[in-house]
Amino acid sequence: MNALRKSLTKLAVLWALVIVFVGLTVTTENFFSIMNLRNILDQQAFILMIAGFATIVIISGGFDVSLGAIYILSPIVALKVENATGSILYMILAGSAVGIAAGLMNGVIIAYGKINSFITTLATSFILFGLAYILSDGSILTLSNIEARSFVTNRILGITSATWMAFIILIVSWILLERTRYGRSIFAIGGNIEAARLSGIRVARIQIIAFILGGFGAGLAGALNSIRTTSAQASDDFSVIFAVIAAIVVGGTSIAGGSGAIWRSVAGVFFIAILVNGFNLNGIDPVFQRIIQGLVILLAVGADSIRSSRRT
Amino acid sequence: MKIEVKEISKRFGATLALDAVSLTIESGEIHTLVGENGAGKSTLGKIISGVYQKDAGTIQINGQVSEYQSAYEALRRGITIIAQELSLVPARSVIENVFLGIEDSTGPFVARKRLRERFVKLVESSGIDISPDISVGALRNGDQQKVEILRALARDSTTIVMDEPTARLSAHETTTLKMLIKDLKSKGHTIIFVSHFLNDVLEISDKISIMRDGRLVRTSLPSAESHSSLVEAMTGTRFGQIFTEKKINPSSNVVLKVDKLTSINQFKNISFEIKSGEILGFAGLVGSGRTELIRSIFGVDKVDSGSVEYLGKTITRFSPSKSIMKGISFLPESRKDQGTIPLRSLAENISLPHLKSLSNFGWIKKASERKLVNKFFTLCGIKAASIKVPIASLSGGNQQKALFARSLAGSPKLFIADEPTRGVDVGSKRAIYELLSAQAAAGMAVLVVSSELDEIVGLTHRVLVMREGEIVKELTGSEINENTVLEAAFSGHIA
Repeated sequence: MNALRKSLTKLAVLWALVIVFVGLTVTTENFFSIMNLRNILDQQAFILMIAGFATIVIISGGFDVSLGAIYILSPIVALKVENATGSILYMILAGSAVGIAAGLMNGVIIAYGKINSFITTLATSFILFGLAYILSDGSILTLSNIEARSFVTNRILGITSATWMAFIILIVSWILLERTRYGRSIFAIGGNIEAARLSGIRVARIQIIAFILGGFGAGLAGALNSIRTTSAQASDDFSVIFAVIAAIVVGGTSIAGGSGAIWRSVAGVFFIAILVNGFNLNGIDPVFQRIIQGLVILLAVGADSIRSSRRT
Repeated sequence: MKIEVKEISKRFGATLALDAVSLTIESGEIHTLVGENGAGKSTLGKIISGVYQKDAGTIQINGQVSEYQSAYEALRRGITIIAQELSLVPARSVIENVFLGIEDSTGPFVARKRLRERFVKLVESSGIDISPDISVGALRNGDQQKVEILRALARDSTTIVMDEPTARLSAHETTTLKMLIKDLKSKGHTIIFVSHFLNDVLEISDKISIMRDGRLVRTSLPSAESHSSLVEAMTGTRFGQIFTEKKINPSSNVVLKVDKLTSINQFKNISFEIKSGEILGFAGLVGSGRTELIRSIFGVDKVDSGSVEYLGKTITRFSPSKSIMKGISFLPESRKDQGTIPLRSLAENISLPHLKSLSNFGWIKKASERKLVNKFFTLCGIKAASIKVPIASLSGGNQQKALFARSLAGSPKLFIADEPTRGVDVGSKRAIYELLSAQAAAGMAVLVVSSELDEIVGLTHRVLVMREGEIVKELTGSEINENTVLEAAFSGHIA
């Protein structure tokens, strides 16, 4: 009985995912089809790509809102490089480098300046958005080599290469977190930073690496997404960061740091994706969809806070 | 206000903090509670002022039985406490702090003029002169304390409990405070003064109640007591033997040599040596600089001057990670704030500082980790269902043993332990003492900071007593007893 209750709360997001999945399969005609499910998967590629490393940042006790701005700035730099060189490889490297540089800046300010990570990344978001406008001169940048689009849209075993790349990032972040010394340090810092420091963990270094990884994920995702859409501009939609944070939180990773897992974020991404897909298939007004999504996030955070208050 | 405390008991977990204590505080007297750390004097002060709730017994105020459940209700009866850690709002001004929550108002607006008039009156009647507009955070400790006293008076408190008010004050500030306390008494206030500074106690008290192990030893007049009679009554004779015999003699291998180590405002000119096989104790009052010293040696906090030699080599760059690699272990004083990673498993908590040797290019070798953890899990006698349970699910004693396992798993040559048995039950204490003695016998150098006298006396081979950031006394072998240690820790605090 106790074990059942424990698995219910611990695996809450999985149960929710299964219930919604089965519910939609039964009630909604077009839900359970290869086509629909494949679409859901492919649409989440870039969110998953960001969510893997962003989960590590959150478990370490940090919070990076600048991932949205990196996701906007990266493709602008990347497309400029592509226009100049015609090389997709250089383009992707440039986009990743933008993310790495921004992450390094965030990490250094947070770790050595000891400034709250939310405030720091909020501030650097403005800077990154500003840079995006300056570099693009307010205009739309386009991919010069349109054929290169197949690099991300190409299907391998029925799934786009972008999705495969997201899987690779998720596997890397999962291994990092669960199997390496670095992952242990992340959990330790997020769980009790003072204890971590006294245990000889070089806290600043671990934090900086976490923000660099987070920035890299967002930079890569931004560049790849601009290959898919063949264009980018500074005023593009940056709400992907909200989707990422929502998925991480809904998955059950604690926003206070110290506990969480990659599989949770993956489950969170798909839970929200399936929910939205179900709304669309049933013709529910997008306005209500947003409200319901908001309620789901509150529910998830509320459950987490009740769980953690029971612990102490 | 006459306060009669009758048969009051209070339990915190496994410890009986107060055991049927009865005493009477007459109206208008300065009544002092003295005792060692953990004797129950602060607990009693907090119960009288409603901060803690008693488990048993009664409190009578002016002959009437009085039940109150919170500090707020005690305040309505005219009793206020000025806690050891001051509870002011540092960013706000003196006047705002004094009248916080009891502001005069016109509708929703604070009546600033009336408030200022009240402040002037308060300053006149109390004789505490302090500018109303300075922000409290900019004041020195002594002045902050005055603000606390003004705050108590602004609430018409007739009885003020002061918990270790002089602990954080300079000698000059202490003198001022003592004058202030006498002045408050002459105006009819009752003062309950909790302190372990015996000279202050003898000087200003009308009556002294001496406490030990949660019991009242006696209440007497200061004229009937002396420094040594107080120390004797505070320590007494203890029962129950939980210490193993001190067997070994330290070798001649110097493990750590500290020379004139100084950190401004924390400790100064600290020089000592510790040899392999030796258990060296650091005694002294809370705030005497012991924790700061060992944190600096381990590399957590900075050092201003002086040098540290470890195994014959001068340490040039201090950091916890470097110390651990060299074979220095550190057990922090607060298990919860500085020790455990609560949600992670026992195994992860134990292996945390040693992952470098348990991994290949960052990849953790799970089998080696399990082997190491199991070895020290057994050695330290941890009781848990498995090494996979979260550490927070264990009892305090077992969590502490787990932190010992963490420290010992690196096979350190020097083990620095800050309050090694804080908040653990007697059984675990005994186990921890046995473990420390055995490790020392096997050649480890053990440095113990402790505020528990019996621990210092029962466990260590040599004791350094610190006071106000300096080593004031070294005691060896048979010189170590509760009286000599206390005498050194207390004396010299002469105003």
